[in-house]
Amino acid sequence: MSFRGRVTRPRLAAAGLALGLGWLVGYPLLITATEAFGGGAPWTLDHFKAFAERGDEWTALGRSLWISAASVVLSALVGVPLGFFFERTEFPGRRLLGGLVALPVALPPLVGVIAFLFLYGESGFISRAVAAVLGLTGPPWRLAGAGAILLVHTYSMYVYFYLFTRAALARLDGSVLEAAANLGASPMRILFRVTLPLLRPALAGAALLTFMTSLASFSAPYIFGGNFRVMTTQIVASKLNGDLEMARVETVMLAGLALLALWGLRLLDPGDDLAATVRGVAPSRRQLTRPLAKWGAAVAGWSLSLFLLLPHFTLVLVSLVPAGTWTTEALPPVLFGGNYSTLFSRPESLKPLLNSAWMATVATLGALFLGFLAARSSLRVKGRLGRLLESLVSLPWAIPGTVFAVALATTFSIHKPQAGRFLLIGTPWILPLAYLLRNLPLTGRAAFSGLRQLDPSLEEASASLGAGPWRTMWKILLPMVRPALAAGAALAFITALGDFVTSIVLYTLDTRPISIEILASLRLQDTGLAAAYGVLLMTLSASAFVLWGRQGERV
Amino acid sequence: MGKWVPVGFLVWLLGAVAGCDDGRTQVVIYSPHGRDLLELLEKAYEEQHPEIDVRYLDMGSQEVYDRVRSESANPQADLWFGGPDTIFSRGAQEGLLASYRPSWADSVPQASQGPNDLYFGLYLACPILVYNSAAVSDEAAPRDWEDLLDPAWNQKVLIRDPLASGTMRTVFGMVLARSVAETGDEGQGFDWLRRLDAQTKEYTLNPALLFEKLTRQEGLVSIWELTDILLLERRNSPLRYRFATSGTPVIDDSIGLVTGARNEAAAKDFLEWVGSTDALSLVAREAFRLPARTDMVAEQLPDWAQKVLTALKPLHLDQGLMEERSAQWMETWDREVRGKGTAPAN
Repeated sequence: MSFRGRVTRPRLAAAGLALGLGWLVGYPLLITATEAFGGGAPWTLDHFKAFAERGDEWTALGRSLWISAASVVLSALVGVPLGFFFERTEFPGRRLLGGLVALPVALPPLVGVIAFLFLYGESGFISRAVAAVLGLTGPPWRLAGAGAILLVHTYSMYVYFYLFTRAALARLDGSVLEAAANLGASPMRILFRVTLPLLRPALAGAALLTFMTSLASFSAPYIFGGNFRVMTTQIVASKLNGDLEMARVETVMLAGLALLALWGLRLLDPGDDLAATVRGVAPSRRQLTRPLAKWGAAVAGWSLSLFLLLPHFTLVLVSLVPAGTWTTEALPPVLFGGNYSTLFSRPESLKPLLNSAWMATVATLGALFLGFLAARSSLRVKGRLGRLLESLVSLPWAIPGTVFAVALATTFSIHKPQAGRFLLIGTPWILPLAYLLRNLPLTGRAAFSGLRQLDPSLEEASASLGAGPWRTMWKILLPMVRPALAAGAALAFITALGDFVTSIVLYTLDTRPISIEILASLRLQDTGLAAAYGVLLMTLSASAFVLWGRQGERV
Repeated sequence: MGKWVPVGFLVWLLGAVAGCDDGRTQVVIYSPHGRDLLELLEKAYEEQHPEIDVRYLDMGSQEVYDRVRSESANPQADLWFGGPDTIFSRGAQEGLLASYRPSWADSVPQASQGPNDLYFGLYLACPILVYNSAAVSDEAAPRDWEDLLDPAWNQKVLIRDPLASGTMRTVFGMVLARSVAETGDEGQGFDWLRRLDAQTKEYTLNPALLFEKLTRQEGLVSIWELTDILLLERRNSPLRYRFATSGTPVIDDSIGLVTGARNEAAAKDFLEWVGSTDALSLVAREAFRLPARTDMVAEQLPDWAQKVLTALKPLHLDQGLMEERSAQWMETWDREVRGKGTAPAN
């Protein structure tokens, strides 16, 4: 009896969880997808035929694919070495800089693009400086096309690789590396034969997130792409033009591409528990003792951080410029604090800050809980059910944010309990729910990669010593995956805090978040006030990272 | 200690925000008009009606429509305030608007009234030529739409992405409708747009980027809407405008009651008030809106509005044709014209 109970209870729990996630994540998408086939009134393939006959649609689909693949490669090339550098080398200022380097992910929506424009656009600082140094008369480059998209993607997405690499390195067992070294392996050989294979789950998680994010990325291709169209810009163009059928087909095709990628990545990384190591003490950081090396590392770290934070500084500068005064000068001629006093003197304008803060907090806690539960459940039951759970957790990220939001809005806009549909649109609950589901892949992937790196024998040992499953979870599992969970939670929190694409579809009068306020200021041509909001948003995000840094440090 | 900083910040925020909600009746307005105008109206109306709390959500005109449509099962808005009448007409066809005829309706031209009293033109929006006066002298600035094709402006024209903008759709629609009227089909119009495309350096994502780029002289001339440029002028921007000599395709900026409004009585009262001569002359003075009502006397309008109304040469377009074909036109433009423009022979 007790044996049966141990076998079926986790499976039952997993099945229940899969059902719940399927309802919240899969069902809305299914409803959206059926509409692309005419929604049953009557069923038709005509819209797909129209899609198939258009060359520009296939080009856009192909471009979406290669841009995303290239973004993964470039982000990995930047993020992984950075992760190693900050996790394995000790130098003055490491802790602070280690947090700062993650901040590109916290560049606020909409105004972040304006910061890029002021920096690298044709009348930006950097462009002007380069033109002056090289003695050029015109701007040295045009921020447009595939190159510009990749630049922006790499800048904002390497952070996934960076954070996941650091979290995984913090969980490595130093004795394994020492053993390899004692057996005579060269540092290179250790890196490629021991360290990187152990990091595989984390790297696969980061690759998946980067791929999906860039597949769903909209603002970069829209603003910098020019005529370089990808699938997301096609969807918006169709939608703006009222061609809802075509927009639905394009959405289904993009989602199909994402699912294909998800499946492909699973083939590459089957997630077999290769990384079963008993966790000992994390490998010690390399203490740089020679002053030259030590200060060299510090200087490199600082200048890199400065470079990465240039858009943030630009935003601060823009927030201090009175409207219309900065035209063709290299630096703004006048600075003032008026935007901040406007912001702080009206309670109405602070409400969005509070809204974003509470919704992001609730959503992150929820996503953390659900993500961990799903990962734990999936790894326990394995097999088809386990894989289903893992796919469900990753699914929200595979769908462009707008599409996901529209799917939620459609599903929960009527009250039909027998069909599993409830009236949530227009209530304050739909937006936090959307944030939660959108960020489930972040916490979920983090939990999966954290748990996969653990040695299953730990759990068995705990159980054989008489600890119940809850006690094992609290005392053994959670503390050990904490760095991974903290990284996932920090990302989820700041993503929810700055979210724009989901919010614009689902916000209500009482849940208006910061990003919508930024949009409103931009619509009023008040770039300064928009930037001031952006700066506040960055400050909140940065505090989340500082807290994350402490979590990582304590373990 | 450090971890108490965010907590303290949140507590302070809570305190600062607390007390926003009181027992007043709310009128919820969805509007693309922007904070300047909405705050002005909110204050003026609440002064006269202390029992009413006017609340607004400020968004793009296309978004208002999307949002009212997606919320139709659980309407959150009472009033749909602002946007071209073409969007209102779509909303009316989908049953998103409720009939209500305010007392000022008779003072609005018949053509600016929606069917079955579902919506009414309230303000006039005027597409105009824009230029940066810091780089382009008043004499050199384009005088008519045609002048934008001048080789002098090659790669100096910036255009707001027309797919997302009611103003730009109207201007492009004007070009195509004129072509249909003159030659029987759109061919000539698309040729014109192809030449404009060759002149265009960039289609900007939103008006804010358009103005930043014009101000920073990444482009020098553009097409936009009068009110925004007047507001910018008040804020010391170097951007200036000019009416096109061949005529202006005036847009009726409308207002209507949302179906299923929660506070219908209060919403009707606000709608009544916002079209009164008092409210119209207030927004003309403070927020540069031109009234659609034709019975306003000169003293009720500020100087700028009187000047504009004299200079304005409205262009009469085939509204039916534009409403019917606009989507098809823009799709064709997006696929066949954008970025594929042919340079003018020179």
